Amino acid sequence: MAAPASTSMTRTTRRTTLFRAARAPRVTVRRSPVSRASENGSTAVVEAKKERSPSPLEKGGTLDGEKALGKDPAGATKAKLNKKLGTASEQTFEDERWVNQTWDLSQFSGSDGNTDWDAVIDAEMERRRILEENPSPSSLKEKVLFDTAIIPWWAWVRRFHLPEAEKINGRAAMVGYFMALVIDGLTGTGIWDQQNSFLGKVALNVAVIGIMFIGSTSDLGKLKGLWEEATFYDEQWNKSWEGVERPEDDE
Amino acid sequence: MKTISRMTMVAGTKAAAAPGSVRARAPLATPNRIGNTARSAVSQMAGAPAGRVVVSRRRDLSLNAVYQDGQKLDRPLRVAIVGGGPAGACAAEECAKAGIETFMVERKMDNCKPCGGAIPLCMIDEFDLPSEIIDRKVNRMKMISPSNVEVDIGSTLKPNEYIGMTRREILDDYLRQRAEENGAKVINGLFMGMEQKEGEKGPWTMKINSYEGEEKKKVDLEVDVVVGADGANSRVAKIIDAGDFDYAIAYQERIRIDDDRMKFYENLAEMYVGDDVSPDFYGWVFPKYDHVGVGTGTVINKPAIKEYQDAIRDRAGDKISGGQIIKIEAHPIPEHPRPKRIEGRVALVGDAAGYVTKCSGEGIYFAAKSGRMCGEAIAARSKQGTQMIGERDLRTYLSKWDRKYWPTYKVLDILQKVFYRSNAAREAFVEMCSSEYVQRMTFDSYLYKTVVPGNPISDLKLLWGTVGSILRSNALRVSQGPTVTFGRK
Ligand SMILES: Cc1cc2nc3c(=O)[nH]c(=O)nc-3n(C[C@H](O)[C@H](O)[C@H](O)COP(=O)(O)OP(=O)(O)OC[C@H]3O[C@@H](n4cnc5c(N)ncnc54)[C@H](O)[C@@H]3O)c2cc1C
Repeated sequence: MAAPASTSMTRTTRRTTLFRAARAPRVTVRRSPVSRASENGSTAVVEAKKERSPSPLEKGGTLDGEKALGKDPAGATKAKLNKKLGTASEQTFEDERWVNQTWDLSQFSGSDGNTDWDAVIDAEMERRRILEENPSPSSLKEKVLFDTAIIPWWAWVRRFHLPEAEKINGRAAMVGYFMALVIDGLTGTGIWDQQNSFLGKVALNVAVIGIMFIGSTSDLGKLKGLWEEATFYDEQWNKSWEGVERPEDDE
Repeated sequence: MKTISRMTMVAGTKAAAAPGSVRARAPLATPNRIGNTARSAVSQMAGAPAGRVVVSRRRDLSLNAVYQDGQKLDRPLRVAIVGGGPAGACAAEECAKAGIETFMVERKMDNCKPCGGAIPLCMIDEFDLPSEIIDRKVNRMKMISPSNVEVDIGSTLKPNEYIGMTRREILDDYLRQRAEENGAKVINGLFMGMEQKEGEKGPWTMKINSYEGEEKKKVDLEVDVVVGADGANSRVAKIIDAGDFDYAIAYQERIRIDDDRMKFYENLAEMYVGDDVSPDFYGWVFPKYDHVGVGTGTVINKPAIKEYQDAIRDRAGDKISGGQIIKIEAHPIPEHPRPKRIEGRVALVGDAAGYVTKCSGEGIYFAAKSGRMCGEAIAARSKQGTQMIGERDLRTYLSKWDRKYWPTYKVLDILQKVFYRSNAAREAFVEMCSSEYVQRMTFDSYLYKTVVPGNPISDLKLLWGTVGSILRSNALRVSQGPTVTFGRK
């Protein structure tokens, strides 16, 4: 088993952790355009204005509160920008089993001599967690080679009992699929007509199944949300045809 | 059906064409009227020294008459196009070609629209673009996941296939000149507003702050049909009350990097995905003429745009380090069409209408194409500018447009919703893109704007693989609290 302790981090400061705890639903960093401009030797273009009438940055689909939770820039970015105090708050991912940009499987052999896939999964989870808060630069020299597909399917099932697999069991899948067809029928947009458009077909399938995996569809409220989400764009497009007779194509 | 409506139109025309009633109506005195109403704008403009507009028509009373839709004209149809970006220039070209009296108003002739400047291969062909306009031919495209897994999605491109990188000031200027060569009158000026003095079938009077000649002056321009091609902040859209769209703010820094680093980006474009660089879009490094454009965009967290920009610079890391920022730019990108895209004799095209795809954020081709289709519709329906057109005629453009491109927009909307949702989904997306089959499909649909039939076995495999990828990457993600539901607020 991967003891989390074996994943070490070089931590020059604990600031990031603090920031994470204090994560606000909405970004609060506000730098003066002046300092910004002098930094770049050029003009700053966007700057959020003082409250009252919402600035263009706060309108047009900007979310806040609950809905924006988990959608802030990474902790490391915020920390870096938030203070100019010198101490860099960098956490870098480091693990002696991560060799040449992949997990060195030989270091993961269990007591029976076989690879302990559970440990690999745990290690990768921790790596991704760290990267999420502390995005690391993509590098020319060090290309990430690890591919999750090398972990056999049964290892995933055993590790997670695959709750997601239960989610796509018959009913949910059918509902979703049916929904997509109905949307298509209702809006008459004809993605389904494009039977030979393969991308359309795949996208539709992927959408339905994907959305079900990603958002949990266990309750009806969410299903409704899903319906709205799936049809929202269609509505936006169809607005210009409401109450209007469509001219014939050959006119 | 069609004939009936045409007959009623003709009948209506006769009744309303009693010219006396029209001429008797005094122009409404609006307090904010600009300029001298006794003289027409057109004749004023003719006085401008070295002006490009060479109209010297007296204000003929018949010009002022109210024409019903479909009524024969004793002079060419007059169309004003506001905005000289790809949408406006292409609309103007089409109208002018048909012999319509076409005016194109552009506020800044050397405008360098904030833009990545990437155009698909089919645009070069369809719009007959000369090779000098293409600064770079990108045939390698890298997609980089939140955990820095890279896939080269250009590996299936054939030798003559590429994404064209252009500079907008060059591209726009070329398209505008072509419109002018075809007979469009290009006016350098700021469009301020417009009004219909004689009711909804009457002509539009456009108010323009003209920059033609030495001094600025205010002029009026009278036209029958108006095409709004004035971009995402469209003033024409506001005037016809077309409604709003959600929009992303896209931010881009142009960075000059040293020769070695530039060499690396010679024919390579990079797309970075991850919550760090954007919660709902991607960050990019695009090679430009002699520098790289590094940028990102977001709809849902616009106030944090600069932090995302910092993050994309950090993610590109060493590849652009030491570079000098030579320009910073930002601009809204529409997310979906406006509720109204046509009102009476006014039509919107390009960004003004809201034609940018989700997921890829592509708008140049769609702007040019919508401008062209609108111009074609005006030409065809007005019988090459010999008869008046109305809303229904303009709507033929809209109908064709929606039929032709709606599936493309929808597919990209779905892809964005599924794959830009969380870091886990993005990891899956990048994994999926390592499949040659996916690459081929993606590039075919981007480069040629056509969708080729797939092969059912590969389709199934892809579906299976995608599900696997999504499952795996979700399993690996330590939950970070609720994610945002895109869509209705
Ligand atoms: C940062 C960024 C990167 C992008 N990258 C890409 C990309 O790589 N590939 C791609 O395909 N698309 C890209 N897009 C989208 C693309 O830029 C737009 O979709 C496209 O420019 C739309 O063209 P348009 O002609 O409709 O409008 P615009 O290009 O905005 O043109 C409008 C024109 O109207 C003029 N105008 C506006 N108001 C007035 C007025 N009142 N009077 C007179 N003139 C006026 C303006 O000066 C301008 O020239 C990007 C957008 C942004 C913001």
